[in-house]
Amino acid sequence: MAGLAASLGSGAMTNDIPGIKSSDVILIIGSDTTSAHPVIGSRIKYVVRHQNVKLIVIDPKKIDIADYATIYARQRCGSDVAVLNGIMHLIIKNNWYDKEYVEERCEGFEDLKKVVSEYTPQKVEKLSGIPEKQLQEIAQLFGTAPTASLYYAMGITQHTTGTDNVWSTANLQMLCGNLGKEGGGVNPLRGQCNVQGACDMGALPNVYPGYQKVIDETARQKFEKAWGKKLPEKVGLTVTEMLKAADEGKVKALYIMGENPVLSDPDINHVRKSLEKLDLLVVQDIFMTETAEFADVVFPASSFAEKDGLYTNTERRVQRLRKAVKSPGKSKEDWVILQKLANAMGSDWNYKTACDIQDEICSLTPQYGGITWDRVDEEGLQWPCPTKEHPGTPFLHKGKFARGKGLMKGIEFKEPNELPCKEYPITLTTGRVLQQFHTGTMSRKSQGLNNLAGPMVMISVQDAETIGVSNGEKVKVISRRGEIEAPAFVTKRIGKGTVFVPFHYREAAANLLTNPAVDPVSKIPEYKVCAVKIAKA
Amino acid sequence: MDKLELDQIFSLAISREIEAYEFYGKVSASVDNIEVKKVFDQLAKEEMEHQTILEKLKADPQSSMNLNTHLQDYKVAEATELPRLSTDMKPVEAIKLAMKKEQISVEFYLSLWEKATDPEIKKIFSRLRDMEMAHKQQLENIFVEIGYPEVF
Repeated sequence: MAGLAASLGSGAMTNDIPGIKSSDVILIIGSDTTSAHPVIGSRIKYVVRHQNVKLIVIDPKKIDIADYATIYARQRCGSDVAVLNGIMHLIIKNNWYDKEYVEERCEGFEDLKKVVSEYTPQKVEKLSGIPEKQLQEIAQLFGTAPTASLYYAMGITQHTTGTDNVWSTANLQMLCGNLGKEGGGVNPLRGQCNVQGACDMGALPNVYPGYQKVIDETARQKFEKAWGKKLPEKVGLTVTEMLKAADEGKVKALYIMGENPVLSDPDINHVRKSLEKLDLLVVQDIFMTETAEFADVVFPASSFAEKDGLYTNTERRVQRLRKAVKSPGKSKEDWVILQKLANAMGSDWNYKTACDIQDEICSLTPQYGGITWDRVDEEGLQWPCPTKEHPGTPFLHKGKFARGKGLMKGIEFKEPNELPCKEYPITLTTGRVLQQFHTGTMSRKSQGLNNLAGPMVMISVQDAETIGVSNGEKVKVISRRGEIEAPAFVTKRIGKGTVFVPFHYREAAANLLTNPAVDPVSKIPEYKVCAVKIAKA
Repeated sequence: MDKLELDQIFSLAISREIEAYEFYGKVSASVDNIEVKKVFDQLAKEEMEHQTILEKLKADPQSSMNLNTHLQDYKVAEATELPRLSTDMKPVEAIKLAMKKEQISVEFYLSLWEKATDPEIKKIFSRLRDMEMAHKQQLENIFVEIGYPEVF
C-alpha cells in the first residue's frame, strides 16, 4: 500500500464494492479474485454477464475469472511495471488519456511520460511475454473507457518491486482520470477480513490508530495522555524484521495473535530457526497452529462467531460482528485476554465490553470519530466518518487527493530478486485456492474442504511432459531454501516455465521454497517469484 | 422592521465578509506553500462574491439569494482544533483554519437569529447563516478528502 499512500495520500481501496456496477471496463491484475475474494469476484462476474461491462484480466495463470474476460493476457511473473508502463505508453501516444484531469489534479506527468515513452509494445513483449497486438487491445479498451476501475491483490504487492507495482497502478488510473469517481478507482483487495482495520488501529510499527505517527510528538502526547503511560519515541520493527532480529538474538520475546508465520512467512526453515532462538513465544489463536507448536504459552481465543466487535473490510467499511455462540472451554475474546494480561502486569485496564473499546477508538482516531457502536448497523459505515452527523465516505479522492495533487512518477521496470537460472530453471509463484483460507488454521479443520482441495503443483502440459509426470503423480519442487512434494495438476492454465503452488498446506508448504527478499519500502517479501527446479518424485 | 435596521444588519454582514477577504488575502501573501496560497486565494475570492451578494440584498432585501437550502451540518469543523497560523502551513491546516472561521460565522448568525424577535429579521439571519453554512460544508468536504491521510 506504500505506493498508493505516496502517490495519492491513502493506501486503502479508493472505491466501494457497490460501485463495481458503475464501471464500463474493469482491469484485474495480480488478483485471483474468485479464489481469494469470491464476494467481489461474484459482483464482477455479474456485471460482466448482465451489464455488458468489459473485463481485462492480466495474470500469469489463466484464473477462473479470465473465462469472463474480453481480454486475458498472461504476463511473465514479476513483469507488472513493464506491462503497466506499456499500457500507459500507448494511452499517451494515442491521446486517450484525460488531459484536463491530469493538468488539474496531478503532478509529475512529464516524468511519467518520459519514462513510459521507452516502453514500446515491442519492448514490453520481450519483458513480459504479452504480444504487442494484445497490449494494444488492452490499452485501447482501458484508455477509451468512460470509467474504468482497477483491482489488484497480492499478485501486485508481494514482490520486491511491490511499491513500484502499486504506484504504477495509481499512475494508470490518474492518467485516465479514473480516480475520485464512482465506478473507477484503484482497488487493492485486502488479504484478510480485517487487515484494513488492523492497519487503521495502528497494528503497524510506526503509527498509532488513525495513522498518527509515533515520531510525531503531538500525537504521542495525545496517546500518552489517553493511556496514562509513557510511549516509545522510536519506530518498531516490521514482521519480517522481527524474525530476522530474533535470529540475531536482538528480539527475545514475541507475542503472535492470529498469525501463523511457520506457514505464511517466506523461507520457513529460517522462521523455525528464529522462533527457536526466542526466550519466550506466546501465541494467541483459535486452534493449535504450526506456530503455536513452538510456543511457550498458548492462549485460546474466540472465533468470529463467539464474540461481539467491529471489523473494517477492504472498502473501509466498518461492520458489526455479533456473538452467536459461547466460546468453548477456556477460550476468551482477544481483548479479554489482553486486558487480563495487561492487568496481571500491573495495568488497570477496565473495558467492560467491546463497545467501550469502540468509544475509545472514536475519541482517539479522527477518521473513526463518528463510527459509534450504535451507528454501525446492518450496512456499516465507511471512513472517513469524522463526526456522528457524517454519513461516511463511499469513495475517496472525489474532489482532491489526500496529498493535494496526485503524484505521478515515472517508474523503471526492475527484475525480481531471483530469476530462473541453469540450476533452477523454473519460476515458482504462490497463492490461494478458493476452498482453503490462508494457512488453513480454520479451513483445514474441515475434512470436506480438504477433500475438495489438497496440496498440488500446478504445472504446464509442456513442463509435465519434460519431467514425465501426469496428472496426480507426485512432483518434487526444489528451491535454494527447501523442497516439497505434491501431486501434479497438469493444465493449460499456466504457461511453460512457471509452476504455481498454493501456500495453505503444511505437508507441502510453499513457503519452504519462497524467497525472503523484501520490497525496500513496504518490507513485503517476494512470495510471487522465485527460482525452482522440478522433478518427478 | 425599518430600513435603517435592515441596513445595519447587512452592513455588519458585509463588513464581516470584507474582514474575511482581507484575512485570507493576508494569509495567502504570507504562506510559502503554493497549494496553500491557492486555497486562500480561492477563499478570498469566495468572500468577495459573498460581499457582492450581500450588497445586492442590502439594496433589495426581497431579492433571491439563490441559496442551497438542503444543507446538512456534519459538524466536522466543530470536531477539529483551530490550527496555529504560520507561514509554513500545509494545505490541510489552511482548510482547517478556514472551516473554523466559517463555523464561527455560522454561530454568529445563529446567535443573532436566536436573539431576533421580528420574523423578517429572523428570516434574513437565517439566510445569512445558510450562506455561511454552505461555505462551511464546502470546506468540510475538502477537509474530509485531505484530512485523514493513510500514510505509514
